[in-house]
Amino acid sequence: MTKMKRRTFVGMAAATTTALSMPSIAFGALPRVVVIGGGAGGATAAKYIAKDSKGAIDVTLVEASKRYYTCFFSNLYLGDFRAYGSIGHNYYGLAVNHGVNMVHEWALSVNNAAKKVNLGSGESISYDKLVISPGIDLKFESVNGYSAEAQSKMPHAWKSGTQVQLLKNQVKGMKKGGTFVMVPPPNPYRCPPGPYERVSMIAHQFKKSNPTAKIVILDPKNKFSKQGLFMEGWQKHYPGMIEWISAETHGGIKNINAATMEFETDLDTFKADAASVVPAQRAGRIAMNAGVNNGDWCPIVPASMQAQADENIYVLGDASIAKSMPKSGFSANSQAKVAANHIRGSLTGSKVFTPRFANTCWSLVATNDGIKVGANYKATDEKIDKTSGFISKTGEDSNLRKATYEESIGWYSGITSDMFS
Amino acid sequence: MKSKSILLSIFLCFFLTNKLYAEQNQLVGADVDYGEHLFGECVTCHNSTGLGQGIPKITGLKTSQFITKILAYKTKEKENAVMQMVAERLGEEEINSLALYLSKLK
Repeated sequence: MTKMKRRTFVGMAAATTTALSMPSIAFGALPRVVVIGGGAGGATAAKYIAKDSKGAIDVTLVEASKRYYTCFFSNLYLGDFRAYGSIGHNYYGLAVNHGVNMVHEWALSVNNAAKKVNLGSGESISYDKLVISPGIDLKFESVNGYSAEAQSKMPHAWKSGTQVQLLKNQVKGMKKGGTFVMVPPPNPYRCPPGPYERVSMIAHQFKKSNPTAKIVILDPKNKFSKQGLFMEGWQKHYPGMIEWISAETHGGIKNINAATMEFETDLDTFKADAASVVPAQRAGRIAMNAGVNNGDWCPIVPASMQAQADENIYVLGDASIAKSMPKSGFSANSQAKVAANHIRGSLTGSKVFTPRFANTCWSLVATNDGIKVGANYKATDEKIDKTSGFISKTGEDSNLRKATYEESIGWYSGITSDMFS
Repeated sequence: MKSKSILLSIFLCFFLTNKLYAEQNQLVGADVDYGEHLFGECVTCHNSTGLGQGIPKITGLKTSQFITKILAYKTKEKENAVMQMVAERLGEEEINSLALYLSKLK
């Protein structure tokens, strides 16, 4: 018998150890899921696929940012109810607790036929199933005169991050007795009550340090989410400060001039001392590149969140047409769990349960004055249909409003823990 | 003395196991995998690791406590619009599956 050389033996021992510790890799590659976008949809999907498959699926999350600032609760930062750092989160928990492979790069394009995602670095990643949860892109051109350049003078602050910090500085630095102009987006858009909660938080700032300031809302719509509740709250907490002007009253915004801070409408030309302009929106660009959109948004199969255009791609959150669900972080988190269950079932044969969707949106009107709206949904062949719902009532007592605000704090803690740990 | 303690421990062990078995046996249609799946809906709001500020923790609830609470929301005896909505669409199978899953969480 030939004596085994020491080097050969060590090599064999290492190979045996590897084969024993990673049998799936030794005897066949794991099915692979790539998730693009690390927000409420993508982070949740990556976590649940990895967690529930217990190592049977290889999950990669592609997200350019190493620290993610949530859009939800960024209004509370504007009102000084949250520190900026408290709405930032990292992906440590996903990597360490669930084995998600984090790739901090931009996903540039999708090759549907080869089932590959091409990254900014020039590398590419193969997938068996792809989840696209890119959030929104802004259609700057939807407001005449608005642009990526103008966003420094009239921040949209609709994708969280430094735009929100910029807006807060401009609100705090606005001249005494000046006018703030808010231009909300047209439907459909991310976070339907968001623009009006933003106005509430800015009014809260003005009430403290600039009580003669005015806020003018030039709305491209004739009605808005939780309208009665916001209007009641504005009258109660900020009487005479906020003027909401509907589209049929101002006749449409013809042009804005970021240099002179003027907003030209049929009704009048409004001069602002500070402003926020949130233009119309569409699905994040990668969804368009993957060809799963129809116009600005992506049609999905309601029962699974699969793109109608490609059964190997799932679209979550704001980018999807998930009628009748609103575009919210809660919705995206709910849709992600439906998709994760479906993906795991199709890749490993695990049980696929009847999809259940839900949403609740909390808003803060003033200190300890929280309001909420929510609904349950079920998948039908045509859409994600609302089955029941509720909304806060006008005239509710202050204890209930305080409890609703505190509930929203609990929800933020819950959903961010659900997404990131 | 020592043998008495051992006997007592065996008795307690038997009693507790039996009680747990009896409780779980009454959970008609309960499926722990379904419970885990449904629990995904709970943790959007109920932080499974934090202090439960604003929204109470539900991990650690005994089976009977969980069922009593969820039924109180279902019958609208207990106030909270979100929880009433959540409970409204939970049938017996869902409630029992959640209860079974929660009972297995530490």
